[in-house]
Amino acid sequence: MTASVDLADFLPAYLAEVEELLDSAHRHLMAVEASARRGAAHPKSVRELFRALHTIKGLSAMVDVEPIVSISHWMETSLRQADQAGGRLPESSVEPLMEGLRAVEQRMRQLASGKDASPVPSGLLERLEALGVSTSVVTGTARPVAVTLDEGLALASRLTPVEREQLTTGAGHRRPVRVDFIPGAERAARGITINSVRERLAALGDLVKVVPLAGPAPGGGSLTFVLLLSTEASDSVLMEAAGGEPAQVRALSSPPVSPAVDGTPAPEREPELELEEPEEARRSTGTLRVEVSRLDEALERLASLVVNRSRLQRAVTDLTAAGAPTRELRAILQENGRQLRDMRAAILRLRMVRVGDVLDRLPLLVRGLRRTTGKAVRLELDVGDAELDKAVADRMLPALVHLVRNAVDHALESPEERRAAGKPLEGTVRLGCHANASGWVDLTITDDGRGVDAEAVARRARAPVPRGSDDLLELLCRPGFSTREEVTSTSGRGMGMDIVRRIVVDQLGGELRLETRLGVGTTFHLRVPLTITLLDAIIFECAGLRYAVAVGSVEELIEVEATRVVRPAGANGVALVERRGQAVSLVSLARLLGSTQAVDATPARGLVVRQRGDLVAFGVDRLLGQQEIVLRPLEDPLVRVPGVAGATDLGDGQPTLVLDLNALGAARRPGAGGREERAT
Amino acid sequence: MPEVLVVDDSKVMRDMVVACLRPYPGLNFTHASSGLEAIERLSLSPYDLLVLDLNMPDIGGIEVVEFVRSQDRLRALPIIIVTTRGDEASRTRALSVGANRFMTKPFTPDAILAEARGLLEEKPV
Repeated sequence: MTASVDLADFLPAYLAEVEELLDSAHRHLMAVEASARRGAAHPKSVRELFRALHTIKGLSAMVDVEPIVSISHWMETSLRQADQAGGRLPESSVEPLMEGLRAVEQRMRQLASGKDASPVPSGLLERLEALGVSTSVVTGTARPVAVTLDEGLALASRLTPVEREQLTTGAGHRRPVRVDFIPGAERAARGITINSVRERLAALGDLVKVVPLAGPAPGGGSLTFVLLLSTEASDSVLMEAAGGEPAQVRALSSPPVSPAVDGTPAPEREPELELEEPEEARRSTGTLRVEVSRLDEALERLASLVVNRSRLQRAVTDLTAAGAPTRELRAILQENGRQLRDMRAAILRLRMVRVGDVLDRLPLLVRGLRRTTGKAVRLELDVGDAELDKAVADRMLPALVHLVRNAVDHALESPEERRAAGKPLEGTVRLGCHANASGWVDLTITDDGRGVDAEAVARRARAPVPRGSDDLLELLCRPGFSTREEVTSTSGRGMGMDIVRRIVVDQLGGELRLETRLGVGTTFHLRVPLTITLLDAIIFECAGLRYAVAVGSVEELIEVEATRVVRPAGANGVALVERRGQAVSLVSLARLLGSTQAVDATPARGLVVRQRGDLVAFGVDRLLGQQEIVLRPLEDPLVRVPGVAGATDLGDGQPTLVLDLNALGAARRPGAGGREERAT
Repeated sequence: MPEVLVVDDSKVMRDMVVACLRPYPGLNFTHASSGLEAIERLSLSPYDLLVLDLNMPDIGGIEVVEFVRSQDRLRALPIIIVTTRGDEASRTRALSVGANRFMTKPFTPDAILAEARGLLEEKPV
């Protein structure tokens, strides 16, 4: 009867989902702030913000994280009132809400690193609670709108005044439209569901309301979803978005709202979105959120298909050698090989994310920097539709954050200095991005600040004045280098160029360049690969060096006990170790890798792998753990060695070899080649 | 096999509900991530139990309950409302429009399992 369910098991999934919710909350809060500054309401973002916090609260209650429940509860309460006030939030409410989000975020990090969430910071709840009171006095200013919304159906009565206003006061050439979508089993099978239709329509305009209506519907259905939106899109585009027949598109019978009639001026067309304002409505066009692990799983499945194909190929080669008619078979195999390559490319494309989406958080960062540094800064993102592998993007983001932070904190002058230098008071940090054809993405971070003073850098580094920008970058990237005396709260000591270089150059195998002009500004050029190969790896030590090997290639890890190792006479010095009652050859990895150290001692652990169907144990000294690594293939053909898959950086800046134990030394094994004098 | 429709815009929450109900033998679970999707699924295939979040975009749990109870075919469908602290005011409303049970987060796996068991077994076949 008892359920053996422990909701604490959901903690990792909880953390991932709350992180997404926090992202969304940040975006919407910034949109609300931008509106509040203009004295305008932003009902949609207030609603979304409210819902994000409501979900965070509920989930946190389930996994028993009380501090987050409390914080989100009070944020939610003040937002509920703002929602009831037509989406109006005073500008002064933004900061405490930001503070609340930061507090939630901080506790998420604690939980992620295995700690308990710390209690709510003192005063925060009181500040949030006070918001509820102050927002409640603001009331909606929805004016009655002279619109008759299809009297035939009682739809109009289901719209709140705010919704009516939203529907009828769209800017530009928007008009109110009603789209009827009739769900069906066959349509659902083709992916045409209310969720997908809703998403497509929301991308085409301002979706105000969706109302389900029961009753006979065209095409034999018994249910109609009525979607009301304000849009510029043509009927045929809307029809297409709704999945075609039997859907219907109708203009709502609304007389144009003439400014002269009710005396209020026509709503001004909203200014073009500020670059730093998220375009939350536009980006969600027919997208699907998939866990990266699922894509990796697909890739893994594909890898086993590829292995199978090579087995098939061998079998066909044998058949051909035996004189069987295999022409047709070989043609199919060839075709199959091509299909597998296409398939791989298609799956890799799924892992691509828009660079613009990855940089979502930068406006928030700059906003914070504006506050802490007192500098006027404008962030320009010019990233277009460039895409990057999610794995590259995740790794690169900290480097970008660092560079943007440095730019604002160190490169940009104070407003007084800028005035004295005859520059615009507001500094600009610009982030540009474009993909080039050869599998690389170029990013630039440019500021119009003071530029890097090479002489000052040289003095601080106690080094000769660098001659070119490469030398200058070299100095800046020295570990621990700083151009600042004092520690600032935003960039610490301005350290971290070494970290930027490690990420871009060592981890991702990319390039980092610097261009700077004194008094004019600085540009960092980053070049990173579009995609990287990630590997779950076992890290181990052998003869004093560290190595990595793919987890998937290792069948088993065994303890090697000296008493269990036998060296049968006449077996050419080959050692055997017992594994589950079976003798497995034990190969000294140290010796195989050409170590000159004494390697006579029996290795402590063995990595059991399969080589051409036979089990082989590679003796190693010590296992250091398991971690995800970025595999960088060795590109120099001269150093391409069978048995070495590539190199990786384990975070220490030193290259670590990634071994392919399935191939390593296979030619030397007894029975496989005969060149046996070096094996143990 | 009894069919359960679990409606919540949070995937983790849906997964938790499914995990809580899993010990009941032979249940089949379908997820819906919005109230609209719930209504769509309910109109297309039969279900034996509906577990419903209150606060969702476009149309919330209350409206889903109202919709369900307005349909002859769905009048007897047992509904468990799952919601969060602060929504207690909705409780009366949800029950008055026809929800059968009301669970407030946090609840224990046993609590929701017991409610589901009760509803599935008292349901006239």
